[in-house]
Amino acid sequence: MPNVLTKTLWDSRRGLAGFALGTALVGAMYASFYPQIADGAMEQAVEGFSPALREALNMEDIASAAGYLGSSVFGILVPLIAVIYGIATGTRAIAGDEEAGYLDLLLSHPVSRTRLVLHRLGALAIGSFTLAAVVLLAMLAVRTGARLDTITIAQFAAQCVALGLLATLFGTIAITVGAATGSRATALASSTVLGVLCYAADTVAPQIGADGARYLSPFHYYIGNQPLRNGFQWIDLGILLATIIVLGALAVVSFNRRDLAS
Amino acid sequence: MGYVIRLEKLSKTYGSRRGLVDLDLTVGEGEVFGYLGPNGAGKSTTIRLLLDLIRPTGGKAWLFDRNPSEHAVDLHRRIGYLAGDFVVNPRQRVSECLTFLAALRGGVPRQRIEDLAGRLDLDLSARIKTLSKGNRQKVGLVQAFMHRPDLLILDEPTSGLDPLVQQTFLDLVREARAAGQTVFMSSHIMTEVEAVADRVGIIREGRLVALEAVARLRDHAIHRFDITFAGPIDQSAFAALPGISDLTIDGPTAQFALAASPNDLIRVLARHEVASIRATEPDLEELFLAHYQPADGVQENSNA
Repeated sequence: MPNVLTKTLWDSRRGLAGFALGTALVGAMYASFYPQIADGAMEQAVEGFSPALREALNMEDIASAAGYLGSSVFGILVPLIAVIYGIATGTRAIAGDEEAGYLDLLLSHPVSRTRLVLHRLGALAIGSFTLAAVVLLAMLAVRTGARLDTITIAQFAAQCVALGLLATLFGTIAITVGAATGSRATALASSTVLGVLCYAADTVAPQIGADGARYLSPFHYYIGNQPLRNGFQWIDLGILLATIIVLGALAVVSFNRRDLAS
Repeated sequence: MGYVIRLEKLSKTYGSRRGLVDLDLTVGEGEVFGYLGPNGAGKSTTIRLLLDLIRPTGGKAWLFDRNPSEHAVDLHRRIGYLAGDFVVNPRQRVSECLTFLAALRGGVPRQRIEDLAGRLDLDLSARIKTLSKGNRQKVGLVQAFMHRPDLLILDEPTSGLDPLVQQTFLDLVREARAAGQTVFMSSHIMTEVEAVADRVGIIREGRLVALEAVARLRDHAIHRFDITFAGPIDQSAFAALPGISDLTIDGPTAQFALAASPNDLIRVLARHEVASIRATEPDLEELFLAHYQPADGVQENSNA
């Protein structure tokens, strides 16, 4: 029997499939460039960069498989698309559907506001982890052919779990802002701006001497301790998860308190 | 017999704008209550308060003697709701949408959905985005009625429906009443309310301005008279009648509206030679317009 969670996933199946396949394709494509990089072309190019720039772009160790993937594929491309998926899904989850007028009908059924938020959050998490799993499968598919086998399957999995949590977290920010304000534009804008600021805090802040700022950024807990080299970073994953739970609780409380927009 | 809906000084203020002011109202079990008012009068505000979609800024409400907010989930099991602008995700099929909504209520027999769809001539396999406004509203009607709720809350239920389907809708309401279900129905269309409602409340600018049984409302209503005389007409005697308005005398014919009992009129008529008399029964539309007219407008009319 369908419920809000399964219906939400079913209704978003096409979008999710598009995002997951697109992310996996882009990731696999860039990952399969690695043999050329390993042959030294990229290392020569990067040599001209200043050390600070190399650090900002995670390019200090561009020639190793983990270094290359950590700076390109998992450093910017894949998390960018995954976070966009999370924000788009989270914005629609409450504020988008509310502005479209869909929530009046749902909430006049025997569905509590708490249940609605939790089911929408659950659908976001399942969607994000589906996307991460498809990326993982794509990486494993090109792993041997692209000479990436210095990275173990567990290390890839560790990075992809962090990816799933990262997308869920930014989606949850959009859900929480939407649950508190009911405004689609506010949810979309604030989570996007926050995403850009957090990315900058992780990459640029250390260069301008604000080293502590990176610890405020989810991107640091996503990739800062290099899961592709060090495997599962349980504390980092725990911090991402705890943030999602706190934001989710805030969303439930604020959504229960306010009037629905008509 | 208990009250299904009980409102006590229920108020809702949006910032500085008044949505609803001190609304006192009860609706009994098995009653069909018509809630009339122009757009923006506060009809939807009342309904959204009942459904806990918004919260009151003052006063109290009870549904089945329970707080609509604290017991929202339990109460919603017993309620069927139709919004005037029924919207759902347009990319799904009708049957998919109805099956999902039924599942939220623990399921509804497939046969019941098919029966309702058949009566309303609704194609269950169509995608909702391909449906006209009227056909989308039918989806809303099916989901509101399908689980045979104890209370039907219908906000402008017939908007967009063609006249034939409106009749089917009125039949559904009559059947619901026959089955003991309570109906709270808002509208700005008088005829549909007049056809099925037991009692009518008229709301204007957030305030309840009239609350009457439909039958009583008609008694109090303005009757229009069209009288042709065989002899001379004593215009001043007519003009002096209490409650008279719109008096026009054109040759042997007098036309006017009377808001009071016809007793005095008959006394005046007794002094005349009357050739023919025609009185039209008022409809709620006229009643409603009389209530809706701004206060100064009403005065002008009664002075005329």
